[in-house]
Amino acid sequence: MMKQSKLALKVRKRIFPLNRFPQPCIIFNVIRRFYVHNFRCLENFELPVSDKPSALLIGKNGSGKTTVGLAFEILQRIARGTNRVGDLLKLKDFARGRSDVPMRFEIEAELEGRIYGYNVAFELPRNFKELRVLEEKLTADGTPVYSRRAAQVQLARSQEKDGSFRIDWHLVALPLIQEQSAKDPLSIFRRCLANMLVLRPMPSLISGASEDDPTLHPNPQVTNFGEWFSGVLASTPSAYTKIEGYLKQVLPDFKDIKNPVIGTDSRSLIVQFSSNQGSLALPFEDLSDGEKCFVISAVVLAANDACGPLLCFWDEPDNYLALSEVGHFVLALRSAFRSEGQFIATSHNPEAIRSFTEENTLVLYRRNHLEPTLVRPLSDLQVNGDLINALVRDGLELPQP
Amino acid sequence: MAPNRERPYLYVLPEDDANRQLAIGFLVEYGTTRQAMMLAEANGWHEVLKIFRDVHVKEMNTNANQHMVLLIDFDGHAERLQQAKTAVPGHLSERVFILGVLGEPEDLKKAGLGHFAEIGKALAKDCRNGTNETWGHDLLRHNADEVDRLRERIIPNLL
Repeated sequence: MMKQSKLALKVRKRIFPLNRFPQPCIIFNVIRRFYVHNFRCLENFELPVSDKPSALLIGKNGSGKTTVGLAFEILQRIARGTNRVGDLLKLKDFARGRSDVPMRFEIEAELEGRIYGYNVAFELPRNFKELRVLEEKLTADGTPVYSRRAAQVQLARSQEKDGSFRIDWHLVALPLIQEQSAKDPLSIFRRCLANMLVLRPMPSLISGASEDDPTLHPNPQVTNFGEWFSGVLASTPSAYTKIEGYLKQVLPDFKDIKNPVIGTDSRSLIVQFSSNQGSLALPFEDLSDGEKCFVISAVVLAANDACGPLLCFWDEPDNYLALSEVGHFVLALRSAFRSEGQFIATSHNPEAIRSFTEENTLVLYRRNHLEPTLVRPLSDLQVNGDLINALVRDGLELPQP
Repeated sequence: MAPNRERPYLYVLPEDDANRQLAIGFLVEYGTTRQAMMLAEANGWHEVLKIFRDVHVKEMNTNANQHMVLLIDFDGHAERLQQAKTAVPGHLSERVFILGVLGEPEDLKKAGLGHFAEIGKALAKDCRNGTNETWGHDLLRHNADEVDRLRERIIPNLL
């Protein structure tokens, strides 16, 4: 097992600078509303996941499943500090280039027993080269935390004159407003959104090497896996027990993971296997693609315990896995998120689809590339015979608008 | 790699998609175990027994750790349990469990027990808590003996 003491202290200081203690977990229940308008193929689109601890998005190629993840990612990146609108969105992100209509992202989530709502809309006025913020608002239990129209921001906590200020309309306000404490609604909401996991791992790009810069925020491709692994363990050293427990089930000869220093401020993950035939230490980068996904899943499960409950959106978690593993892999994630947090996956894989039920399977579809994505719960659709066979023969009877 | 055949493991063979969904709801609620695995739907209770006989009897003969739950619809015939049990060789009977709804799973929905995943979840909670709130329903209580065996042999060792 990793040595925790000095490393843990060092990385905790990096993650939680200025002697700020790890902030308390945010009790994330589920998304109550997620609405996107005029973003790529999502027009007037609402994702019906409000009562679902886990949900599966299915649909043909180009139906918009991954785009839902990209929409989550926009909000996640805002909360993680990307404030320049031009770094978040481009002209091509307007649905069919329709830049005369605002693009909207709205999320409502239950956190620590309160309902938080965040809306942000972007526009591209004539003669502008970069999108700007049209309006933005954060509420807690319906009460505004701040609201904003173009450049004018109004903080609700202060009705005094200095509660109002102007910012560059090419900047999103959410990451810029100073929080007052860890219990500040702004802080709670921002942390929740920033900790959200939006994953579409590319194992061949994941080396396990890291600078000494631990984080709780994996990027979508999880190419910063080493930093994320270190960050989760630094935040909650006991998370290693969860990681180890999962990996010992999936890889019976798994022994441990080490993260030794290999240079100045650099580390590289080593995975050790052991059996009665001997032992073997493999650099993380030499694991197979599927084995890397097992380790990623182990850290997701540990992070949900240690730093969550979290919202996890995983685009095709079955990628790279053997058929015999897919069901176990998906059920493990669904079970882990069943009482707290939320797990949303996309898939084309029959075994993954069979690991969900009709109430938590959502079918996304489009008539053609000029029309927007529609979504229906599978339970609302008439499936003629076996679902997998219906998907194979493109035989789902989908209502048209 | 899955499941570990050196330890007791369980295959769940459902008659149809509705039974599969009940079982998925059960497994998600019970928490993850790699020792339980859902098989593809057989499409009919006769097919469940045929697949069991053709494929799994041989497996069970060679591996004493294998257990099976056969999920069938009773279609109003409580005596179907005894009929189905005739397909199970005597030396394997301790490791095979035959369960199902007296009518069909859709009847549980109509009876107001919720959707399939919720019903599966409630059945798992009963097993965990030693209660019979859902297993005691008119459409399910005929499973009592099999559920008792399941609680004794499977729940503590596998789930």
